[in-house]
Amino acid sequence: MQLPPEKISELEEIAYQIRRLSVEMITYAKWGHVGGSFSMAELLSVLYFHLMIVHPNEPNWDRRDRLVLSKAHGSPGLYAVLALRGYYPIEKVYSYCELGGFEGHTDMLRTPGLETSGGPLGMGLSIAVGMAMGMRFKENPRGRVFCILGDGEVNEGNVWEAAMAASHYHLDNLIAILDYNKVMAKGFVWEEMNIEPIAEKWNAFGWDVIEVDGHDIQALAEAFHRARWIMPRGKPIVVIAHTVKGKGVEMAEFNYKWHTHAPSPETADAMLRELATRYGRPAQGYSKLGEPELKETFYGGE
Amino acid sequence: MEESNGNVKAIEMRDAFGQTLVELGRQYPKMVMLDADLHTSSKATMFKKAYPDRFIQVGIAEQNLFGISAGLALSGFIPFPSTFAVFASRRALDQIAISICFPNLNVKIPGSYVGLPTSRAGASHNCIEDIAVMRALPNMRVADPADAADLRAIMHAAIEVDGPVYFRIARLTMPSIFEDDHKFEWGKGVLLREGHDVTLFGTGIMTTFCLHAADILAEEGISAEVVHLASIKPIDRELIVESVARTGCAVTAENATINGGFGSAVTEVLAEEYPVPAHRIGVRDRWVDSGGIKELFTHHGMQPEDIAAAAKQVILAKNKVRI
Repeated sequence: MQLPPEKISELEEIAYQIRRLSVEMITYAKWGHVGGSFSMAELLSVLYFHLMIVHPNEPNWDRRDRLVLSKAHGSPGLYAVLALRGYYPIEKVYSYCELGGFEGHTDMLRTPGLETSGGPLGMGLSIAVGMAMGMRFKENPRGRVFCILGDGEVNEGNVWEAAMAASHYHLDNLIAILDYNKVMAKGFVWEEMNIEPIAEKWNAFGWDVIEVDGHDIQALAEAFHRARWIMPRGKPIVVIAHTVKGKGVEMAEFNYKWHTHAPSPETADAMLRELATRYGRPAQGYSKLGEPELKETFYGGE
Repeated sequence: MEESNGNVKAIEMRDAFGQTLVELGRQYPKMVMLDADLHTSSKATMFKKAYPDRFIQVGIAEQNLFGISAGLALSGFIPFPSTFAVFASRRALDQIAISICFPNLNVKIPGSYVGLPTSRAGASHNCIEDIAVMRALPNMRVADPADAADLRAIMHAAIEVDGPVYFRIARLTMPSIFEDDHKFEWGKGVLLREGHDVTLFGTGIMTTFCLHAADILAEEGISAEVVHLASIKPIDRELIVESVARTGCAVTAENATINGGFGSAVTEVLAEEYPVPAHRIGVRDRWVDSGGIKELFTHHGMQPEDIAAAAKQVILAKNKVRI
């Protein structure tokens, strides 16, 4: 299943814009998670602009696909893709972390297109299991529930309770996606808490497993196509997407210091220029560089 | 299985729970029951028998129990995730708080085996902090029924309101206070007995103890008012203030810890709106170890005699303040 070159360019552009907007909103808010938003940029691009069946004009359409962002600190990436997909005007993302605006971690009552609220890790897959059961109750065999998990997140026991239940109930309408960027909040996965052999773990819990390069748009499209249409056989499916935390800007790549860290306007400007160069786009820096800083800072850094 | 026909008088609370589940299941096709391997204890098994297709077993996994419930609520269903109160309020608190209460989802949580009547299972199972924990969560409603009819009414009110609800079920048969057609209203208490010397505020099974205490006090010539507040959150601020405005002092009684629980809820209203001498009857910052039911109520100073003694204390305090 080969994507036409125009489609690949379109999805690449979306991934670029997800990264740009993530930096914009995190810098403006002075808080947020760059690394985990960057690592899933291609995942979100392919899901929302190629695979998922959703109606942004009718976000609560009953037969829609659903996405649960279990690693809810990746909210900037998700807010960006929802804006790009047309759930709300792009300008809205600058309300990120503002009182009354988009929440730091996901709040479904605040942001159109969000399916869940979250923050504490390990909880999203259970919600996705409930949604997949709900689709069964409603006799909707075409619908799918997607759930993006962080790699460190699978340290949480609740993930495996949900994994066990999903296979027990044969939920092959549930597709978990592991954003395996190898880096946790304070160190590397294998140092903090080793999750390997991760494919075998999912297998042992009764899941079908696909491994894929999470930044290769063609490979992702193919993996998701298989997960959605070819593989279902009474078992839930996990796509282990091998990614790079902070992918797109050198200083953030593979670097846990950019798990929770807001760049200064100057750093953001440099980051965005680097991104533009990498994507071969016209030079473009931070949109609010030099503007008076409106937001107070209680504490620097994380 | 016996049809309930609204006749839930003087049966064990958990049987009333099971019967009412079946009744609600008939009325609400979107209602689904989830269980974490305890359905024959909680009597959720009655729902399982009536509607096997709407009964989901999740195994011994309480975090998953509440997460799945959130997902089902987000799909338009009305989940009743059922487990012991200790596991809901301890093991799965984060899931209840962030997956359910934060987005204000329509999940109804029965907490079974509350307080001292759980008895022999010991401190790990005798749930005392659930009122305090659950009423601290924004959007959550909390109720504790006095008898079977009250429980049935609370369950109807729980499903009629949109949003998360937590209600308690003691493993005990309580004498009937209310008629079968009793109605429960959120934020409304019930004046059960008028009096002018002291108000006894009860919730859950302790309301019956308050009525007994009022009898004891009456023999000594003391007139005690008894107010039942099954709706702990929201609480009937008006009725609380109205009553103490007449009596001038208060005793609260709950089958739970007084730290942050029902006694706290009532005395918060008193402190903010109408300060009077008050005393709280309940578990006083201790674990409820294994023991017989009566033995435990005596050990923790929660018998009607203890409520009556506390009433006399607050009456004394009130009179001192007046002098």
